[in-house]
Amino acid sequence: MCGFLKRVFVVVAGSLLIAGATCPAQAQDKPAAPLTAAQIEKISQANNECLACHSEAGISHPPKEGLDIKALRGLLTDPEAYKESDHRQLACTRCHNEGYDEHPHAPDARDSTTTCSDCHAKKAVLIEKQFDKSVHAKNLSDKFTCTTCHDPHVMRLAANMTDAHKIVAQDNHVCLSCHDSDEKFAKFAPEKKSRPPIDEIHDWLPNTRLHWKSVRCVECHTPGVGDKEPISHEILNKDKAEKKCLTCHSANSSLKTRLYRHLVTEEQQRLGFANSVILANSYVLGVTQHPLLDTLILIAFAAMFLGLLAHGLGRVIARLIQRRKNDD
Amino acid sequence: MTEREYLIAPWIRVWHWTNAALILTLGITGMSLHFANPNLPLVEFSLAVRIHNVAGVTLVMAYLFFVIANIVSGNWWQFVPKPPGILKRLIAQGNWYAYGVFRGDPPPHEPTPEEHFNVLQAVTYWSVMYLLMPVIILSGLVYLYPEFAPDKLFGFDGLLPVALLHYLSATAILLFMLSHIYLGTTGKTVGQMFKMMFTGWHEQ
Repeated sequence: MCGFLKRVFVVVAGSLLIAGATCPAQAQDKPAAPLTAAQIEKISQANNECLACHSEAGISHPPKEGLDIKALRGLLTDPEAYKESDHRQLACTRCHNEGYDEHPHAPDARDSTTTCSDCHAKKAVLIEKQFDKSVHAKNLSDKFTCTTCHDPHVMRLAANMTDAHKIVAQDNHVCLSCHDSDEKFAKFAPEKKSRPPIDEIHDWLPNTRLHWKSVRCVECHTPGVGDKEPISHEILNKDKAEKKCLTCHSANSSLKTRLYRHLVTEEQQRLGFANSVILANSYVLGVTQHPLLDTLILIAFAAMFLGLLAHGLGRVIARLIQRRKNDD
Repeated sequence: MTEREYLIAPWIRVWHWTNAALILTLGITGMSLHFANPNLPLVEFSLAVRIHNVAGVTLVMAYLFFVIANIVSGNWWQFVPKPPGILKRLIAQGNWYAYGVFRGDPPPHEPTPEEHFNVLQAVTYWSVMYLLMPVIILSGLVYLYPEFAPDKLFGFDGLLPVALLHYLSATAILLFMLSHIYLGTTGKTVGQMFKMMFTGWHEQ
């Protein structure tokens, strides 16, 4: 795994914060400082030059003649998705630097593309250790890079998102794009390994597809983590993955330290509902509870039971008294 | 010698005990799901989900059978409290449960082929079967197909009101079931009314 970082963290495409030689914003894993409107405009204009070719619009209306449209088709970026991504403050040339100034680009330009670990050094060390234990590292370490899963042009950290459904959609798309596609699965899987039908292997899970819309694959396919720790990159196979429903479906749900760990810092008892932050996104059986209502209902059952018991005892006693009177 | 009268048609008895078994199954699995807790497992969660779904769909079919058979056979008329003196008879029945039954008074109403139920039974059974059951069945069906639930309501998931209706109507039905079983012991003997629901014969 020594050459892992170099091999694995090669970013196919990324970005550049305006003119810095280092990573001014994300360097050393620090959050980006807000840019001024003038800086944003400058980046946007610089990026538009790249996107003039590297976008769907660029393919349909090539800005110049002689472009290899077929090759270009595999090198597109969605400008709208990029504007929403965590790297949106970076210019394309931040990562695609040397050799990209002119067109045609230098033949070896790709080799000098900035890697994820160049900016995310601290995270990369931690993630590498987790990834080494992952099911993906066993057979596929030579094929797997950060960008196999994380497209830096679109990805957003869960911590930067407030809509759980959007977090789920983004993260599950990563897993399902291979595990629900024979074509893409074959690109990475060892020879003779066919893709296990994703619905079949999950058929023990009630409402399977509904689960995939509401929670991420990694809620079950990663080991448990502490309250403050991020989700692990140690992806577990089916033998080790979580299978106990109650891990999520109970009042003290692990969803609080997983999917909702960035959101549960807010209020937790809106209108008396426990885990009301989760309820704002999804009604989850076992998680959504109203302690006061539950208590009142249990009291109603206890009152009914005791009332009937007292009535029954009263009848028995009345019968005994009656019988004694008759005997006298 | 006791007088016997044949009152309860076979279809009613079969439906009644099928319904009873389903309500009991749904109640136990429903509680397992609602109060899901690793320290208090009633029925294992995913098993409870499957049982609850199958029993729920069976209950829908049993209910449809009940409604149709009631219309076809004319048995629906039994559930309608008949005037005159509905309120007076209601109070008399309530008083019998409150005092008369302890004094050994005869019940104010004896089942007849024309009128199986006393007026309190008619009102209660009608409410349970035609008010509560549609609520629990419809909310259960939305639960089964949550794509039909509203997306969001008052800032919460739209499934919440459906789930609350399901929970509250289930509570009411289970409370009714407890009282129904208990009041079943207030016949001439403790087991007489239970026996009637198996054999169809009422012994006076």
